[in-house]
Amino acid sequence: MPAKSSYTDSLKDYLRLEPTIENDVVRELNTHFEDKSHELIESGLSEEEASNTAAKLFGSPRIVAKQMYEVYSQGSWRQALFAALPHLLVAALFALHCWQNTIWLLGIIIAVACSVIYGWCHGKPAWLFPWLGYCLSPVIAIGILLIYLPGSWTWLAAIAYIPLALLVIVPVTKQTIRKDWLFASLMLLPVPIVLGWMLALELEDKVMWYQQLHELASPIALSFVVLALTVATFIRIRQRRVKVGALLMLEILILLMMALRGNSAISFGGWLLLGLLALILLLGPALLERKIREADQKPLKPSNKSAH
Amino acid sequence: MNYERELLKGSTDSLLLCLIKNQPMYGYQIIKEIDKRSKGYFQFKEGTLYPALHRLERSGLIQGRWQRLPSGQERRYYYITPKGQKALVERLAIWQDFSTAVALIIQPTTG
Repeated sequence: MPAKSSYTDSLKDYLRLEPTIENDVVRELNTHFEDKSHELIESGLSEEEASNTAAKLFGSPRIVAKQMYEVYSQGSWRQALFAALPHLLVAALFALHCWQNTIWLLGIIIAVACSVIYGWCHGKPAWLFPWLGYCLSPVIAIGILLIYLPGSWTWLAAIAYIPLALLVIVPVTKQTIRKDWLFASLMLLPVPIVLGWMLALELEDKVMWYQQLHELASPIALSFVVLALTVATFIRIRQRRVKVGALLMLEILILLMMALRGNSAISFGGWLLLGLLALILLLGPALLERKIREADQKPLKPSNKSAH
Repeated sequence: MNYERELLKGSTDSLLLCLIKNQPMYGYQIIKEIDKRSKGYFQFKEGTLYPALHRLERSGLIQGRWQRLPSGQERRYYYITPKGQKALVERLAIWQDFSTAVALIIQPTTG
């Protein structure tokens, strides 16, 4: 039944559910498709006509998938809290001026590592991705610190750093995008904010840097609280478009808050570039997902044809 | 037409709970049964039925289980849960009150 498999393929493209739920949904709709086709064949249609008519009666796979997505996309309040927790921990770190407290830092690192390992081994639920983002943050932070190396050392270190960093970031992002590109956006959400704050501090002068960090501790904490609210909102919202809108709006709001805080080393152009980076990191995964899916489908097409 | 759709939208969950209450059913069977019992008035589309069934299941009002038919094919049967039975009783009571109140206004008063 070509119409049935093409309908199922389209449905799978749009569903973006947990693999076990997705398999159940597709299996269930397939059985319905078979029953409907059988009924139409009994009423006098040919097998092909019956299959095409059944596909039409099902309605657009995109709409069916959208409705199914909205059934499962809303996380519980507990999941929302757990997803927001890494940002809240970082906010507390700055609000309580504990960034030099080894126990606090060690506690956060252990919490991030345990949550990521647990989430990765238990079906990669939505709450995992904000934690996963923090796993990647040391890689990004090292990259930023390379800027402050003396003279040509920056370039030498960059040559070694870039491939190594890509070796870590690319597979994780790719795996995340395969699940749902929105989770990659969620994971990369703090990058422009962390980058913005690091560039706002004058890291070359240690005394000044420390003084600035004390002055900026409250706005840094506030930005991470808003980030936590953004993540919790994302988890609680059902509709996909509203999820994207919430991520975009709140990320831009945080960057605006940071820019309006003033006395930072970043120029207007720098803030614009950060805004652009935020847009690329939020929406870029959608384009990457399309590329990955196209690449995945290419080797499958000949085998599909032979199966019919 | 939109009014009819809105009315159906508000009653879909209760209709499904009512059907499943007496006998566990699978999706295709539910569509056929609704069509038969309403004498063709309610024609559920698959795209409406399955999201509604899964929403009810996620709320804990019904539970889906895969079962093998005598023909060897497998179908996902939906069973009403105790929580679903309780919700149905409440909804039917509300519906009764609502339809009585609507009838009192719509129907001409006697005496």
